[in-house]
Amino acid sequence: MRIRYSAYVLVAAGLAFALVSCGKSPETGQPAGGGGSAPAAGQAVDAATAGSVTGTIKLDGAAPAMKNINMSAEAYCMSQHATPVKDESVVTGPGGTLSNVVVYIQEDMSKYSFAAPTDPAKFDQKGCQYHPHVLGMMAGQTLQVTNSDTTTHNIHPVPKDNRDWNQSQPPGAAPIMEVFARPENAIPVKCNVHPWMKSYLFVFKNPYFSVTGADGKFSIANLPPGTYTIVAWQEQFGTTTQQVTIGAKESKSVNLSFNAASSGD
Amino acid sequence: MPEPSGPDPITGKSWSTIMLVSTFLLMLTVAWSLWSEFFGLRPWRAYQRDFASAYQDFLGKQIAAQTKAEAAVYSSPEYKKLKADLDAAQQSAKPKDDEFARRIALADLQRTAITPAFQSARGQVGALIYQVEIIPESNKSARDSAKKDVDGAKAETYEVEYPLGDGKTEIRKMNYDQLNAGFTDLMALKASLVAQQAEVDSSVKIAQIKLNEFVKEKLPGPSAAGLQNLRNAMSTFKIDMHQINVNPPGAMLNYVGGIGLVDRCQSCHIAMDPLVVPVTMTLTKADLGRTMAASHDAPFTSHPDQDLFNWHPLEKFGCSPCHGGNGRALDSAERGHGRYEHWLWPLNYRENFTAGCQNCHASDMVTEHAEVLNRGRSLYRTRGCIGCHKYSGFDDENERLTTTRQQIMQLESTKHDYSIEIPRLNHQADIAPDNDTAHKLNARATSLTIESSKIDAQLQTLESVSSSLMRESKRVGPDLKEVRMKLRKEWIPVWLTQTHTFRPTTKMPQFRLEQDEVQKIAAFIWQQGIAGQKLNPVAPGNAGHGKELVESRGCLSCHSIGEDSKTIGGDFAANLSRIGEKENYEYLVRWVHNPRERTLPYCPFEKKDITPEDYKKHRLPFQFDLDHSRCPNDGHQLEVQQPTIMPSLRLSDEDSRDVATYLMAQKHTNATYPPAPYMDDPKLAAAGRALVQHYGCAGCHEITGLEDEGRIGTELTNEGSKPIERLDFARYTEDAKRGMLINGKTSPRGPWYDSKGFFEAKLNDPAVFDHAKFKPDPMDRLRMPAPNLTDPKTHQIDKNDVDALVTFLLGSVDPQLPTEYMYRPADRRHAIQEGWWIVTKYNCIGCHQIGIDQKTTMQDLPFYQAENKANLPPVLTSEGARVNPEWLKRFLANPSLSTTDTNKNGVRNYLQVRMPTFSLADNEIRKLVLFFEALSSQEEPYIAPKSESLTNTETTFARALFTNPAAPCLKCHATGDPAHDKNATAPNFTLAAERLREPWAERWVTDPAKIIPGTSMPSGLFRREGDRWVFTGAIPSEFRSYAGDHANLMVRYLMGITPDEQRRLQGRSSGGGASPPGK
Repeated sequence: MRIRYSAYVLVAAGLAFALVSCGKSPETGQPAGGGGSAPAAGQAVDAATAGSVTGTIKLDGAAPAMKNINMSAEAYCMSQHATPVKDESVVTGPGGTLSNVVVYIQEDMSKYSFAAPTDPAKFDQKGCQYHPHVLGMMAGQTLQVTNSDTTTHNIHPVPKDNRDWNQSQPPGAAPIMEVFARPENAIPVKCNVHPWMKSYLFVFKNPYFSVTGADGKFSIANLPPGTYTIVAWQEQFGTTTQQVTIGAKESKSVNLSFNAASSGD
Repeated sequence: MPEPSGPDPITGKSWSTIMLVSTFLLMLTVAWSLWSEFFGLRPWRAYQRDFASAYQDFLGKQIAAQTKAEAAVYSSPEYKKLKADLDAAQQSAKPKDDEFARRIALADLQRTAITPAFQSARGQVGALIYQVEIIPESNKSARDSAKKDVDGAKAETYEVEYPLGDGKTEIRKMNYDQLNAGFTDLMALKASLVAQQAEVDSSVKIAQIKLNEFVKEKLPGPSAAGLQNLRNAMSTFKIDMHQINVNPPGAMLNYVGGIGLVDRCQSCHIAMDPLVVPVTMTLTKADLGRTMAASHDAPFTSHPDQDLFNWHPLEKFGCSPCHGGNGRALDSAERGHGRYEHWLWPLNYRENFTAGCQNCHASDMVTEHAEVLNRGRSLYRTRGCIGCHKYSGFDDENERLTTTRQQIMQLESTKHDYSIEIPRLNHQADIAPDNDTAHKLNARATSLTIESSKIDAQLQTLESVSSSLMRESKRVGPDLKEVRMKLRKEWIPVWLTQTHTFRPTTKMPQFRLEQDEVQKIAAFIWQQGIAGQKLNPVAPGNAGHGKELVESRGCLSCHSIGEDSKTIGGDFAANLSRIGEKENYEYLVRWVHNPRERTLPYCPFEKKDITPEDYKKHRLPFQFDLDHSRCPNDGHQLEVQQPTIMPSLRLSDEDSRDVATYLMAQKHTNATYPPAPYMDDPKLAAAGRALVQHYGCAGCHEITGLEDEGRIGTELTNEGSKPIERLDFARYTEDAKRGMLINGKTSPRGPWYDSKGFFEAKLNDPAVFDHAKFKPDPMDRLRMPAPNLTDPKTHQIDKNDVDALVTFLLGSVDPQLPTEYMYRPADRRHAIQEGWWIVTKYNCIGCHQIGIDQKTTMQDLPFYQAENKANLPPVLTSEGARVNPEWLKRFLANPSLSTTDTNKNGVRNYLQVRMPTFSLADNEIRKLVLFFEALSSQEEPYIAPKSESLTNTETTFARALFTNPAAPCLKCHATGDPAHDKNATAPNFTLAAERLREPWAERWVTDPAKIIPGTSMPSGLFRREGDRWVFTGAIPSEFRSYAGDHANLMVRYLMGITPDEQRRLQGRSSGGGASPPGK
């Protein structure tokens, strides 16, 4: 009991010190108190005045040719695909629309409070690939990982600010339910059994994010009026930004593009 | 001032009478002090004078005898022949020898002649070469000129007067190179001449050695001339102090201090000075005409165990560090022996001499040359002294177990703290205001997770340590938890009051109990027993067969049976004569079948016996043994065996019944046991519990609720150092100081107010120091019970036992010597030291001879006499060299070498005696294996030598040898065929490959009697021919050309024999079809 008690005291003291000394996070530039599921002091967004941003993400220039993924290491994976699967680093649609681009706003929205969705963010392993390839979710939202394959996978996110975990999931096993408590961009997810399997997770504090589909379209709704920096992230080309000002009930369209010649950050 | 009146004191008074008297007194004092100086205070002067004359007389007689003996030897034909051989050899070698001697002398002369010139030339040349070397390479001209100087010096000639032999010389002019070559050549010439001369002289040397050996054998001890020299020396013997200075650096010998130790013991014990009496001679008082009666007045014996000086040189050890006494004091025997009030380390008495060994040999269980001390140590352990009196290094498994359990509990508590702390830290990280804090908290949680996993590793280790210690930890007395199943109820109070009458050889001491105490203790013992467990009824067996088994299987190596003069067997374990009066048959059957079997396992963490219900709660089968020893409730290691030394003999159920039936018949038919209904009274039991704690019963017995009771007695590790004031002689204090014994007689050794006196009195009667005290409450009285030191034959306390224990206690002192003197070897001797603890703990020496001169209990049993001697358990004097240590580990863990067919010996299945299963802890097995290897000087770890595989010809030849009528190996060696093995007397060859070491096997087949005298294996199978062994029997013609070593071939072959190969051989040796394959 003595040990436990003193450990509490130590940790509490450490925390107090941390609170005092780290008023501002050096990495995000966000003021303290806005992180994770801490009780939000902010008000709800007024739906009556909120606007939205939509748009399309495109790639300028010819899309780089993607390599075939070699799944020969496991016969089951091979058998799931009639033709070889391409690497998913850059996936373009007709007219150069880019898939798997995460679009979000850079601004700190901590004066508002946002409840994490009660529906889990779904993440599936099928054909020895992750679906989706890039997933956005909110801090405190449950990540539900399922395995639709009849082979065993392991799910190993490698976060920086959240806790590392690595779980095995045999076929037919119950879904893995995990929560990321802290916002963090581009957490790589990998499967140590099938090294080609790769994915990225984005954890946000607010719901103002969108991941493009094959049509390259994104949509961020319910934004309070104001000026925002829209950020688009692509795993190979990095980020690109654009400012936009939204009036009350205004709906703006922002189109962003990446240059095929650049090779990202 | 008035004039003084009265007579003038100067003129009127004379002092002359007083002066005269004073003068006389002064003269007397001077005379007295002179006498005292030369006689009174110097008794050693008289001893030396006395010794010198007696020793001279003795030497005179010896010289006469020796001269006569020498004359007889020198005139014997053998001597004459050897002498003639020597003379002839000398004669024939002489001319050549002389010639070589002359040439060697000449070569020496020549070398001496040129040496001065050579040295001078070499010096000069060397100096000039150095001059060249110090001129830089760049300065070519200077270098060249210096080089010329060198050449000049080399060319310079010296005149040498060179000897040519026969005193002639010639003048030679020699330059540097010639001198150099001449010198080297002469050196080489001399070396070659010396070698040639030695060759010529070799026959002389051999003849001389033969002669010397003959003389040495016929005339041991000093020669007449040597004795004469001694006598001459004694005739001019100067009476003087003889002393040994021992000055090891930093020595604190006998508290003498940094300046070291001076022992002057030899001033009186003059014969112990090797300069006076050489170590090759032994001198007794009788030799000097001194009778034993006057022995105390003639300290003239030479040291009785001269061998000891080989390891304890006098100049390093002196006398008093081993013997005690005040080595500096010379004014009286009493002073020198330190037997006066203020000397802390009095000389040990004769019967306690070996107490001194403990000073350095405290870590030994067995110390060579110290029989009495060894007996004392062994008694301390086996008579249960250790049950109450802690002694450092002795059976401390229980203490270690307690420490281990405390460590386990501490670690578990820490781990529990972590398990709460980690999620808390993680949560703090989740809600941390910034990532830095989150990183720190997460990192801390991660490190705690890793710490926690490390604790798991520590816990696993500690659990296995604890499991191992539980196997090692034994109790002196039986487990009392099982009394209700085991014992006749009414027997318990009878036993408590008549312990030594019922079983005169029991280890259990006799307690001094009032009748009501007996009833309370008996009630508690009965009621604490496990209740409600019934043993199934078992049909009686065949007592006749049981008797045969008891006598042959090996029970009597530890147990004895029969009373008084009819007693046979060992005294290591209980006498079984009246076992039928107290035991319950069903329990005895179970015990004989496996004495380690427990009714319920005990969990030391929950501190309770685990019942079938506990297992049921966790849906586990009620199964507990050494392989299933985890507690169903908390996963800790359980006590799954009875803490008895007795091993399992792996008897069949039927044999167990037969043995138990025979044992149940061992009883007095007229013994009566009054009913004891009070034993079921719970009130009495509650009072009994306090008494059982008071008397420390749990020190020797396992008792419900008192499993963790410590030892109640004084720790005796340093008892010999205890100041006399702390030993309470009570009403005998004055008697002891005056030398009056407890029985009112005069003590033969005078005052006994010392540790020895206290220990002896206490061991003879532990209540002695309560005499004349008023202690109406039994709980106030001295509680030490009377140890059973009674000699069963005389019914008196065995003085040897008392002496042995007193010796052990007297030697149990604070270390007085510098630590480098302590016998704590780091090499093989350490393994030997450790091994003896285990070998004596389990009484391996009851059956096996391990030490070269050691006797076993079994070899004295009536059953194992005459032709049955061949059926004794194997002699283990060479075990470490004989067997592969990996195999030995397996064998010790399971001597049946089988997991299914265990009712047999693994190696010597043909023996009736059974190697039991001791369920040794890994630690004990490791120590035993190292012990045997160390005894046989084997290196550890063992690396098997690479064996050459046999060629086809060799295989055929080896088969022929194996089945040769001159070496009927398979006649005696077991083959696995039951019909054949009934008469086998040696192990199966198929075991050889994994069991034996090849070098040993080769020594064994060539001369087994050298390794184990008296073995059934015959010698003379091979004879030495040049540098190889050759088979003695007729060798088939086709193999006569085989040039290899036959013994080596045989061994290589037998190391590879498979069961198939053996059947094939049997087929050949029986001259027909193969025998049915054995199981």
